[in-house]
Amino acid sequence: MNLYRIAPLVCTSALIALLAAPVWADGDAAAGKQKTWTCEGCHGIRDYRTAYPEVYSVPKLGGQSAGYIVKALQDYKAGARKNTTMGAIAAKLSDQDMADLAAYYAEAGSGK
Amino acid sequence: MTGIASTEHAMKKLISTSVYLFMFAASAAVFAGDYEAGKEKSAACSACHGADGNKPITPEIPRLGGQHYDYLEHALKAYRSGARENAMMSPMAKPLTDKEIKDVAWYFSRQTGLVTKY
Repeated sequence: MNLYRIAPLVCTSALIALLAAPVWADGDAAAGKQKTWTCEGCHGIRDYRTAYPEVYSVPKLGGQSAGYIVKALQDYKAGARKNTTMGAIAAKLSDQDMADLAAYYAEAGSGK
Repeated sequence: MTGIASTEHAMKKLISTSVYLFMFAASAAVFAGDYEAGKEKSAACSACHGADGNKPITPEIPRLGGQHYDYLEHALKAYRSGARENAMMSPMAKPLTDKEIKDVAWYFSRQTGLVTKY
């Protein structure tokens, strides 16, 4: 079973990546709540789906890891992760905006 | 005559019902994965994403528990095709079949975890 065999290697890599990780800006959840207007039109609607070029549900963000949200936004901004909508939105976000949004969404969600 | 007609009617009803049931089952099978198979396969994922995909071992690793089934499927297929790249996920996703992706995605989507926050 290939996956099981490489899992320890993968996790060791993850730990090394963690040690080498840059320090994120401190996020302010209350400030983040004021910045969600470009997010909630898709992520704030239950079971909302993308329309083009592929159809799938936009991911739930409530309770998501803050570090992952920041990383995803940075990757969209840098073009390392490609999605037309998210690329355009992330391009306008500062590091502080990303940290604030991540802090807000990382808190357990209010919806379902 | 009446007897033949009603038998014929019953047959038609039976056939159309079977067709509907088959279509329903087929569509469900396309949408859903196999929970037990996904659970078994998920051991490799949980090593980093945590039990039920809800306790990632580092802050940069996403939670998967409760995430949408079709989003998880989309993400794994993107890693597999190379459309999305990650040093850890790309090699994990490469060997997965469509069925394995569906099973694992289904398993994590059925856990309590992430919610739509607005």
